[in-house]
Formats: sequence, C-alpha cells, structure tokens
Amino acid sequence: MPDIHHPGRRSVLAAATAGAASLGASWLLTGCTGASAAPALPMDAKGGSPDRGGTLRIARPPASDAETLDPASALSAYEYLGALYNRLVRVGANGDLVPDLAESWEPDAKARTWTFRIRAGVTFHDGRKLTSADAAYTLRHILAKETASPQAAVLAPLIDTKKLRTPDAHTLVVPLKTPNAEFPSLLTHYNCYVIPDGSARGIGRTGVGTGPFKLESFTPAGPGRITAYKDHWAGRPVLDAIDFYSVADMSARSNALLAGQVDLLSQTNLDFATARVVAASDRATIARVENAQWYVLPMLTTEKPFTDVRVRQAMKLAYDPEHVVKVALQGAGTAGWDNPVPPSDPAHITAHPKHDPEQARHLLKKAGHEGLTVDLYTSSYDPVFTPMALAYQDSAKRAGIRIRVKTASADSYYTQIWMKKPLMATYWYTGRPVDQLFTQVFRSGSSYNETAWSDKGFDALLDRARQETDDERRRELYGEAQTFVVEKGGAMTPMFADRLVGISRKVRGYAEHGFEFDYLGIGLKGA
Amino acid sequence: MFSFIARRAGAAVGTLFLSSVLVFLAVQALPGDVATQVLGKDATPDAVSALREKLKLDQPAWERYIDWIGGALHGDFGLSLVSGKAVGGEVGLYLGNSALIALVTVLFAVTGSIVLGILAGLYRDRWPDHLISTVSLIGMSVPEFVVATVLVLCFSVALPWFPAVVLYGPEASVGQLMPAVWLPALALAVVMAAYIVRMARTSVIDVMASEYVTTARLKGLSTWRVVTRHALPSALLPTLHVIALNVAWLAGGVAVVENVFNYPGIGKLMLASVQNRDLPVIQAIALISAVVYVVCNLAADLGAMALNPKLRTRGRTR
Repeated sequence: MPDIHHPGRRSVLAAATAGAASLGASWLLTGCTGASAAPALPMDAKGGSPDRGGTLRIARPPASDAETLDPASALSAYEYLGALYNRLVRVGANGDLVPDLAESWEPDAKARTWTFRIRAGVTFHDGRKLTSADAAYTLRHILAKETASPQAAVLAPLIDTKKLRTPDAHTLVVPLKTPNAEFPSLLTHYNCYVIPDGSARGIGRTGVGTGPFKLESFTPAGPGRITAYKDHWAGRPVLDAIDFYSVADMSARSNALLAGQVDLLSQTNLDFATARVVAASDRATIARVENAQWYVLPMLTTEKPFTDVRVRQAMKLAYDPEHVVKVALQGAGTAGWDNPVPPSDPAHITAHPKHDPEQARHLLKKAGHEGLTVDLYTSSYDPVFTPMALAYQDSAKRAGIRIRVKTASADSYYTQIWMKKPLMATYWYTGRPVDQLFTQVFRSGSSYNETAWSDKGFDALLDRARQETDDERRRELYGEAQTFVVEKGGAMTPMFADRLVGISRKVRGYAEHGFEFDYLGIGLKGA
Repeated sequence: MFSFIARRAGAAVGTLFLSSVLVFLAVQALPGDVATQVLGKDATPDAVSALREKLKLDQPAWERYIDWIGGALHGDFGLSLVSGKAVGGEVGLYLGNSALIALVTVLFAVTGSIVLGILAGLYRDRWPDHLISTVSLIGMSVPEFVVATVLVLCFSVALPWFPAVVLYGPEASVGQLMPAVWLPALALAVVMAAYIVRMARTSVIDVMASEYVTTARLKGLSTWRVVTRHALPSALLPTLHVIALNVAWLAGGVAVVENVFNYPGIGKLMLASVQNRDLPVIQAIALISAVVYVVCNLAADLGAMALNPKLRTRGRTR
C-alpha cells in the first residue's frame, strides 16, 4: 500500500455498491424533491463566517488496526496528524513555502548548511515549551532505522544526524552531506511533524504536539475525538472539538452525510454520480479541491515495448489529454500534457508537445511496433481509473494503438499490479514541492519510482537544480527537468482532477490544498 | 432414534473437519504474500523472511494445519497479524453484534414470512396470493445492497427516523446499537423472507390437498382448526430447512448489508481481514461460519424429526 496514494483502503464492495447506490439515490431524490436528474456541481462551498464553538463530525475511511499517531511512521490518520501537530515549514496555498514552527530559515552561501529560527512562545499540549531540541529530536526520530519512516529514504542521503546542532533554544542548524537549496521543502512532508524531545515510545498513542487541537481519544481504524487547544500559538481554533468516525464503505460514508450524521467526508473523492446526489441534497453539498488528484498512466521502462523511448513518446503523442479530461472527469480538472508538476505549482512550465497521432504512428513504425497492442490495467480502487483508461483507449486509436483495458481486483491492486504490470492506471495527491516530487517519483532507484525510469542525465539535472542557490536559475532548471520527463520519462500524466469533497451545508471556512487542511478556520454555522 | 441423532452428529463432525481443511487451503491460496501485505511494500527482504519465520510460513502446510486446528479446538485462534490482539475475543465481539441483527431479523422475518406464506397458500390463485407472491419474488430478485440503500434513503435521508450508518466501533453497547439494528434487519428480512414465503406457500398448498386434510374436513372441523392442528405442522416441515439455511446465511454472509450500514459485525470484520490478509482472523471467521451452518442444519433435521413421527421411527423400521 503506497502511503501517498489514496490513503483510504476502500472496501471491495464500495465500487460495486456505489454505482447502484447512487442510481437508487438519484432516482429517489428526484422522486422526493423533484430536483432535476443531473444538477450541475457547485464550484465552491458556501462562504461566510462560522459561529464560534461546536463539534465537527468527520467520517474517514479506516486504515487498519495497526494505525498509529506517530507522524514519522504514520501511513494514514492524516486528519489527526494535521490537527495535532505542526511542521517546521508548510506549503502555502500558492505552492510556496510558508513558516509554521520555524519563523525563518536560511542556507549558507553553498546551501550546504541550513539554519532554522524556531518560533518562541509555542507550547506542547502537555504544557512543555517548544525548543530547537524538539526539532532536532524529530529529525533523528524520522531517520532512526527502527522508526521505519517512509520519509527516511529521502532525508537519509542528505542529513547526518550526528552533526545536527542546537546552538541555542530557538536555533536549529542542519549541516547537509550534499548542498541542497530545496531542503526546507522536504520538511513539508506529512511524516515531518514535530514531536516532543524523547517522546518516540508513546507518541503513537498520546499524540502530544503543538497543533490547534489536542487528543482526547483515538482508536486505530475506529472512532476518536480531538478538542481545541486554547493555548495554541496561532490562536484557538473556531471549533470546540472534532469527532472522527471510521466508515469503510464509500456509499455508507455519503449516506451518513446525507442523513446528517456527519459533516465532512475526508479522504474521499466522490464519483460523479454520488457527487450529484450529494449536491442535490438539502443537508449536504460539494466542495472542490482544485487539481488535487494527479492521475498517471505509468509505463514500466524496464518492460517491453516501453524500454524504447520512441514507443513511450508515441504513447504520449497518440492521445489527446483534453479528450480524457472531458470524458473521464466530465470537465472537472485540467489536462496534464504528461507534465507531473501541477499547474498550481510556481515551477510549472506550460510548454509541451501537441497531440499528434500521425507523428505517433511514424515513431511506432520506426521502432518496429506498428499497430501496437498493449494491456492497460485498472481497478475499481478509484472511480476515475476505468473511465480514464477507456478515454485513453479511445483517443489512442487514431494512432493505430490498440489498448486492451483489463480490470484487476481493487484490494490487491497496489501489491499485485502497481509497479509490476507494464501499463496501468494510478494517482497521487498533488501538493508536494517540485524537488520532492521529482526525487520520490522520478529519480533513479527511488522506492516510489513507479516507472522504474533511470536516466543519469535527469539525475544530474536534479542535483544541479537542488544545489543552485539562485532562485530564478533554479526555477529554470526545474523547468528543464519537466521537459526531460515529458520527452523521455515513462509516466503519462493525462490530467489533474478536482477532488469532490462532500460537506454539510452548515460547514464554513473549509479550505484544503495538497495535504494542508485549515483546522483553525473551519467551523459550523447554525449548528 | 438415538442412532439417527448419532448418525447426524457424526456427519456434522465430518463436515466440520472437511470444511476446516478447505478453509485452510482456501486461505493459503489467497493472492499476495502475507508477510509483504502485513509489512507494506517498503519492507526489506530480511524483515519479510523474519516475519515468515515468525508466522511459521516456512513450515510445511500440514504442520501449520495441525497447529491451527489444535488451537482452535481449545478455542485459541491465535493472534491477529494486524492488531496483535487475540483473535477469539475480537471475533466474539463482532459476532455478538451480528447476532443482534440476526435475532431481530429472525424474529420478524421468520414469523412474518411464515404468516404471509400460509396466507398465500390458503388463498391460492386469489389476489392475496398474487400480491404476496409478486412482492416476495421482487424481494428475492433485488440484491440486498439495493434494498438496503433504498431503505436508507427512505428512512434515514428523506424521513430521518433511523441512523443511516453506525458510527460506533465494535465495543458499542446494545443500547447504542439498537436504533441502528432495524434497517439492516429489515433489509435482510426482505431478501430472506421471499424464500420462506414461497416455501411455506408451497407446503401449505401440498398439505391442504392431502388426504388427511380432506378427511379432517369431512369430519366437520372448522377451516381454522384444520389449518392450525393438521396442516401447519406438516407444512412447516419442509420450511424448516429453508429457515435453517437462511439463518446460517445471516450469521455468516451479511457482509454486504453490514458494509452499507457500517455496522460493526462479523461481515465487516471479515471484509477488513481479507483486505489486510489477516489470516488467523479470516480462518477463525470461516470456521465459525461453518460451525453455524452445520449446527443450523443439524437443528433443522432434529426439529423436523420432532415434527414428523415418520422420521422419528425410521431408524427402527429399517
């Protein structure tokens, strides 16, 4: 189970029932309320300010009984982590880095040593004061082997934990093994929340952090409750408390919302049929997180015929991403043009080759694969996978490519199909900084390199980019990296999709992007 | 009579042994290596082989089977691979919650559908029969998740009388679960009732056409008396097996309905365990389901014997 994919283990039944459920639902709601069969999905949730206080009820998919609140090793429970803890730096709404527990940070001239100024006057939920020792301890905890943190593989080649220094209570100095101008962006990962010094043993259960909420109860894969932390350094949150409930089945989750039992469905990208039903309800509506899902058709570059770069190029030129967005997303997203960096990222470049089936045909002929036939694997794991595959199949036909769409079982999709079959459908959450994205998913040998692509030139380009201290020049290099991936890489990125989030009509101040969720501002009106 | 009971009990034990072997083999055949599924895909080969050793996956299958069945006979189903808790206690918790639904379902579905079936049989080919038969046919044909979803939309969303889903965990008290029991029970009853209605109807028709009912009528007994004293016991006989099978299905196969209602029952536990490849839990649930099936069938046979004098004496006449 890859941590950064859709975190919820959706039940096997979900997809089977969701379709029928929403059919039944739309039929019934149409019958009951006389609403039109296919109301348009709202662009945004209701504005206006919330009332102070109240309890927000969130339904989330249960992960497993092995769930933990230790941020360094957590593979789920994101809702808890974001509310209980803070990181040194976080990602702002426009994709730039903004301060969280670190007020400021600066590199030395070569970007080899980074100095973080830790915010003063911050307390943990148990009353202890935050100091730089806690930040240093957190980094050591992430890198400790026994923690088994997914982020360790990214940070271990960079940080030598023995050389971490805390010259005073509010200064953290991190000397790196190799220069890296993008180092702070790696600390925005959800495994990098700051925990108190010496807390590793119990943190998975206690959840003591500096965040706007403190833990009252937590059951792995079960219900839990967090309450407002009045002494939070950025002011107290609007809400008094948040109740979390685990609901495995997606249609059960939306039923709970429709029946008014919960106010928000987290980690749930509603399918279009269900989203329409929710939007038509008196109690609930749809909020969108723009371009939140990054959809990919990875080609394993170690498997024939995708070992040949001409075939990969042909596969990309053969289809029209605009067509895929129209068919698979019903327009609720942006065409990706095979560039994995989302349009909202400051580093995103717009240049890309045009859709050209003739050129694709020509390339295939040169590679000796005229009339190519390949299997494309999908599953009901995500509602968009199969429509995306069918839209691709349809579009690629013009280049003479025959795609056989095969549906695999959802519950073993990420162990049996992902990174094993030469061509399949998958997705990630957007919202990771550009260096983290390229390092984790495209660099040679990275554990999440799902196309097994290995290009020394690309790796060298990344190294140059992260060592470049001039911001403008660095942005150019990341632009070159995008061109590199578009031209030679194994991943097709047909689109970025809006996430359709079901929320109660009482919810105000809902704001979410990437893995960031505004716990301070969210509240209820007239609850 | 005792030899009959002994024979049936012997067959039941044999069936259980066979099903335990099948359950074990089926679970071994699940796709996906257990150790990798439990450790996640980032696990090092060392960790995987260490876990395989710890789970005794490196031993031959028959040794593991003996180990498992030996423990199961003492009520020890091992520890969950995921939560590390004792499987027996965990399964018991969920099983108890499912039993609550099963109890309500049986009370309503069985009594209700027997009454409807008898009515249909007595009014054969008249409008009450047509109505009951048509409705039960529809109930039988519609999958339970559709029934469940329609019930939720009617009685939780449109009319907020019952909760749409259960928000409590498996430790919920009976009082907390009670409001949430009615809709799942109704959904299961609708699907289950159809079979019982049709079986009861057919039996009543058969019995009412039999010679002894004609004799009873000729003796001048009232229709009510003929039905309750003479026809019903015989009509219930073949229905018993259908009821038994349905009760067994209730106890073991309510996964779909429990998922729609997020009800913390055995079906939901089973689904989660299959997804997590939590082998000890899957095996325990499968074995318990087999026990429930066998016991229900045994009970139906013995019940049939109690109702039918002919069966009671068969052992001797042979």
